[in-house]
Amino acid sequence: MENLFLEGTQYTPEINMNAESGVISMVGKSYPENTFDFYQPIMDWVTAYFNGEAKNKTVVNMEIIYFNSSSSKLFFDFFDVLDEQKDKHHVEVNWIYDEENESALEAGEDFIEDFENLVINLVGK
Amino acid sequence: MEAPEDNLLRELNDLKASFTKTIDKLAKDLKRQSKIMARSDKRQRKEYDELQAKLQEVKDLSAEIEETQREVVLTMGAIGESRSKETGNHVKRVAEYTYILARYYGLPEKECEMLKQASPMHDIGKVAIPDSILNKPARFTPEEFEKMKEHAQLGYDMLKYSNRSLLKMASIVAYEHHEKWNGKGYPNATSGEDIHIYGRITALADVFDALGSARVYKPAWDDEKIFNLFKEERGQHFEPALVDIFFGHLDEFLQIRDSLKDV
Repeated sequence: MENLFLEGTQYTPEINMNAESGVISMVGKSYPENTFDFYQPIMDWVTAYFNGEAKNKTVVNMEIIYFNSSSSKLFFDFFDVLDEQKDKHHVEVNWIYDEENESALEAGEDFIEDFENLVINLVGK
Repeated sequence: MEAPEDNLLRELNDLKASFTKTIDKLAKDLKRQSKIMARSDKRQRKEYDELQAKLQEVKDLSAEIEETQREVVLTMGAIGESRSKETGNHVKRVAEYTYILARYYGLPEKECEMLKQASPMHDIGKVAIPDSILNKPARFTPEEFEKMKEHAQLGYDMLKYSNRSLLKMASIVAYEHHEKWNGKGYPNATSGEDIHIYGRITALADVFDALGSARVYKPAWDDEKIFNLFKEERGQHFEPALVDIFFGHLDEFLQIRDSLKDV
């Protein structure tokens, strides 16, 4: 399947979804004008990926500095998809945050609380 | 053979299961929704606080920078002044005169305010002129005069590399305040509107103040003599429009001279 790459902008994170390496990354801020439209191809890609040729181990690196509430909702939906796959595939999420950015850390902690069966590592940098 | 009611019962059970599942999903989404909003609100409030704090920091820093710039400029002006023994309030008066001239000339208020701060540095290049020349209580020899004239270029060279708008402006003032409207000034013998307006304005302000002040080599001129010279130099040394502003608002210039007298 084809990899998905979206360059980061002032309002949207850089998206890099690599089917060969099994590494998915989202880096930057998330304030899209239309959050649902922006994340639709990402949700489609990850669903197709797990339905098809997912690697033995899939690593998701999320380094989102700031994000709006609709992005937060989309991250929940995204984690839902990962959560459904955790028994069939080895999935690991790295929630990467700047140690000076308390909100980013707290957001990561919230996701851990909500998806207690998903492996989410908090990675300070 | 299945009884019709069994079939119906099974269908009802399926419906019930599907209904429960949908309700659960809806409940989960609803519950999650308010959680997401509450968390987002909290997060965004924190981000807003951070932004406000950073903005305040930036504001404080800009104020600090502006204040520092103002102090540096005034100090440099005072250094130039002390070196050339133009005792007292010469640079302060020049500052005020340039402000009035700039305002009536029609420059934007911010620029007038900046010129008021930059013009005191017009003679900063004199720090590099030997004392023996600067304080000579007699007429310069041609060689000495040539040396003295270098202060315009020297002042410009000191300030020209700055990216600060105020210091850039001061470099122009230092460079061009001895140019004359008729092209007979120095260092470049530039004429008319090729001389920057900051230079044209400061030239008039500086000369007006210098003539009215006593120097080591000359007594102060009386007003009539000064005014006559200004009339003669209209369109020669000075831009006509600036001389007109000067005479049109003479009371304001004299008021400044009175309030900032040398003691």
